[in-house]
Amino acid sequence: MSKIKQGSPAGKIVVYVVMGIFTFLAIYPLLWLFIQSFKTTQEYLTSSKLALPKLWFFGNYPYAWNMGKFGILLVNSIIYTVVTVIAVVVLGFMAGFAFAKIKNKLTPLLHGIFIVGILLTLQSIMVPLFLMVTRVGLYDTRLGVLIPYIGLGLPMGVYLGTEFIKGIPDALIESARIDGAKFLTIFFRIIFPMTAPVAMTVGILTFTGTWNEFMLINILTSSDTIKSIPVGIGRFSGALASDYGKQFSALVIGVVPMLIFYLTFRKQITKGVAAGAVKG
Amino acid sequence: MKRANRFLVLAMVLVLAIALVGCKKSNSNAASGQVELKVLNYFDMTSANASGEVAQVWEAFEKANPDIKVIREDLFNEPFHNKVEAYAAAGQLPDVIYAWPSGRSTTLHTQHLLKDLKSLIAKDGLAANTLPGALDPNAQGAGYLAILPRAITSSHAFYINNEVLKAAGLTPAKTYSELKAQVPVLKAQGYETVIMANQDDWVMQSCFFSLVAGRFGGAGWEQKILSGQAKFTDPDFVNALTFIKTLYDDGVISRASLTTDYGSGIGQFATNKGAYYIDGDWRIGAFITDSSTGQALIDPARQANFQVTVFPDIEGAKLNKSSSGILGTGWGINANIPADSAKEDAAWRLVKWLSGKEIQTWLLQTGGIATPTRTDINASSLKLEPLQIQGSQLGGQYTTTTVVIDGVFAGEVYTPINEGLQAIGLGSQTPQQVAQAAQRAFDAWKAKQ
Amino acid sequence: MTDLTSKREQSLSYLILVIPAVAIYFAVVAFPTAFSVALSLTNYNGGKVFGNPKVHFAGVKSYIEIFTNPNGYFYIALKNNMYIVLMSVFGQIPLGFILAYILSRKMIKGTDFFQTMVYLPNVISPVIIGILFKSFYLNSNSVYMEIVRIFNPAAEFTLNNHPMIPVLIVMLWMYTGMYVIIFLANIQRIDVSIIEAARIDGAKETQIFSRIILPALSGVIVTSAILAISGSLKSFDLIYVMTNGGPANQTSVLSLFMYMMAFRGAPNYPLANAISTVMVIISFILIGVTKSVEKKFGGKE
Repeated sequence: MSKIKQGSPAGKIVVYVVMGIFTFLAIYPLLWLFIQSFKTTQEYLTSSKLALPKLWFFGNYPYAWNMGKFGILLVNSIIYTVVTVIAVVVLGFMAGFAFAKIKNKLTPLLHGIFIVGILLTLQSIMVPLFLMVTRVGLYDTRLGVLIPYIGLGLPMGVYLGTEFIKGIPDALIESARIDGAKFLTIFFRIIFPMTAPVAMTVGILTFTGTWNEFMLINILTSSDTIKSIPVGIGRFSGALASDYGKQFSALVIGVVPMLIFYLTFRKQITKGVAAGAVKG
Repeated sequence: MKRANRFLVLAMVLVLAIALVGCKKSNSNAASGQVELKVLNYFDMTSANASGEVAQVWEAFEKANPDIKVIREDLFNEPFHNKVEAYAAAGQLPDVIYAWPSGRSTTLHTQHLLKDLKSLIAKDGLAANTLPGALDPNAQGAGYLAILPRAITSSHAFYINNEVLKAAGLTPAKTYSELKAQVPVLKAQGYETVIMANQDDWVMQSCFFSLVAGRFGGAGWEQKILSGQAKFTDPDFVNALTFIKTLYDDGVISRASLTTDYGSGIGQFATNKGAYYIDGDWRIGAFITDSSTGQALIDPARQANFQVTVFPDIEGAKLNKSSSGILGTGWGINANIPADSAKEDAAWRLVKWLSGKEIQTWLLQTGGIATPTRTDINASSLKLEPLQIQGSQLGGQYTTTTVVIDGVFAGEVYTPINEGLQAIGLGSQTPQQVAQAAQRAFDAWKAKQ
Repeated sequence: MTDLTSKREQSLSYLILVIPAVAIYFAVVAFPTAFSVALSLTNYNGGKVFGNPKVHFAGVKSYIEIFTNPNGYFYIALKNNMYIVLMSVFGQIPLGFILAYILSRKMIKGTDFFQTMVYLPNVISPVIIGILFKSFYLNSNSVYMEIVRIFNPAAEFTLNNHPMIPVLIVMLWMYTGMYVIIFLANIQRIDVSIIEAARIDGAKETQIFSRIILPALSGVIVTSAILAISGSLKSFDLIYVMTNGGPANQTSVLSLFMYMMAFRGAPNYPLANAISTVMVIISFILIGVTKSVEKKFGGKE
């Protein structure tokens, strides 16, 4: 480490090379996927996997888009993700504020139960969840997808929200209390605006989690008008899929919206991820 | 602070608004008098005939039956199976369901969730133009006719590439020792002997080991085990497992096949990487011309150089010239639909159509199936590619059919066999250990019945 | 206002703030979890759950079965989970730390671009990554093998003895970026004047690193380790798509083992749910260990 002093040209080159390698490793697989999606499956299977398509076949995309009904799936994915993110941040931080700053006997119990939620696997509650959602008549509705998504996002929202709000000085709240402000007012007027950095973190974690979720939504919906993009990808992929070209183009369709979102908000996202883990 | 507040109110309104919009169910506005049928369809959208399926199968049915409204849910692979389990757990299966005769559809059969189609089949006299084997109630997991199968499947097919053999100066092996003797010759020229795609554990069991177990155990070997007269640890079954080990040891199948995913074995075979290929008869569809791209993995002109048959004779086996066979998939009806109701009638019409002559003919033409269960289809009048013709004649290449292991044993019994076959390939377990694991699993299963 | 109304307002506010989250969470996570634990104590094996006369209480049979089953798949899965935990704690975190440290010294241009790139794999669906790497890397005629064969035409793909290695490499690829970003932000928060002062006092770069930067980050490292451990134990999507546990269960992990029990062939929900209960207990133990390690080695909080 000590050799790589600031400004030493050899050190700089080493750093550039290391970073270059990492950048290449991040981009190349995606680029490869994109290129292969223009091969027919016959060409993919019989040609070199490093080669460009001999014949650029554009048929995979319209096929995947139409057969997979990706138009409506995209709309649904956006709805689920946006609503879930907002709800998790708002509801999670409300509870987080109460846990961190209002004394109550219930806190250790409730907070503890939320923390267990971070450790749970989705697969174990899939079937019970399905039974409940069908029982209350929310099967195959957007609301029946949203409520579980919000519930599954909440443990992380509550955990990070509580930790962050604990770090806010009590004096701030006490002085507002002396001025006669109610706790609800304090939360919405003073605390919530201050949580922006950690809201970003929770938002991003919830966003990627919800956007990529594929098992629960498959179980909870049956109409194409309610499903989301991962279900569409699932229709083209898996061990028994018989056409690589179509499968790859479906994957590209699945990955592009996320890439656009990420590259647009890259600064906020990389800052936001860090903020949640920043401590005292 | 005011800005944040406004944002908050806006956010809340948005949440509520969208959630409430989402609350509205997509209306399936069935016209009055129409019977609504919920259908769970297993649909590989990457298959060459997928776009044809929508038009030729579903739209055609709706057109011919304006009084039935089909609400179809298309799923594929694991999502399909997950959904079936969830539906079963809630006790609310769709009306018409795609299903396997056993194996992956175990729950549907063991819990008797599908209707016995016997009386419906008898009423319409379907037996007159269906292969008798397809209507054998004992061939299905429930012990009754829960599905109407569309094909008889040979889970094993031995594909021969004469282009490679010619280049190596060889002819197709007739016996296992001939095959073994070809290994060094082929290897010297850079060819594999037998290509398999063994990354998924079911492949070895279903496409090859079931045949081997049948040849070493003789016809009806599984009945002896099910009835307790024989055990998996008896010499027959252990010898069959040992034969798999021998294949790896002799280099007939390379250990690298355990890292070949199911989708790419066909590519290796079509590009002359090896002389032989083992898979099911359903794989013929992957080699022929793909209507969506106009290309074929093995060009029709080249197909004359390829043969489809069964594995060569194994010295010391009880039985040769055999294959492992199983009923193909088909369609079943939810057992909760009352008998003689309008819904049952509609569901049965759909099942009859989906497993009927037109669809089977279409599947045969597109390479979806090799041996239809309908006897009134004249394959010679259809335009088939050379490999498809070979596939339709595969049945003439063997005299005995033995069972496919995952077709007759329960999931908890065949899973250790599937995994054990991979462990044998890896060298991490001996045939004896795998046989013991299988027997243990069988005993545990038996105790629960 | 009097104390009494203040107290009442306090508990009322508490409830208003907490109830929405608690209600949703209990409905969709806590209750189904309790339900799943209850199922783990029965003999339910598929079909209708409610009103199924065949379902009855079976005690801790499934829990015993997990540990005593002679096929030992539970232990293989547990071992692989531990590999993933070790890889994330001793692979992702140190590598992320080193990269972040290099970036923080601001020796070069383009750190923003680089941050964007290393974090990129994190936003892509594990399903897509799994399928991609399956074709790209994981078999005998993959891109990886084609590259290897350029240098050594006779090379054969043999990862048979260590099938977890490719999975671990992909995980390293996926998640290192997250730690780079977390550490970088925290390094940048360290007061520069302290470092400058130390340098003026003649401290070496290594001393600055071990005496100032590392202690300042111990809290973050523990948080990251907890994130890594809970994430590692839950890891499912990538392996499910990439290897599905094969060959011969050699790449299985607990969550996948659980899934297989619940959804493959005849469902065995009691066993599956027992596994997930055991998983939560293991997570607790590991996180407890991490926290006590932090306490012992002078967490700065």
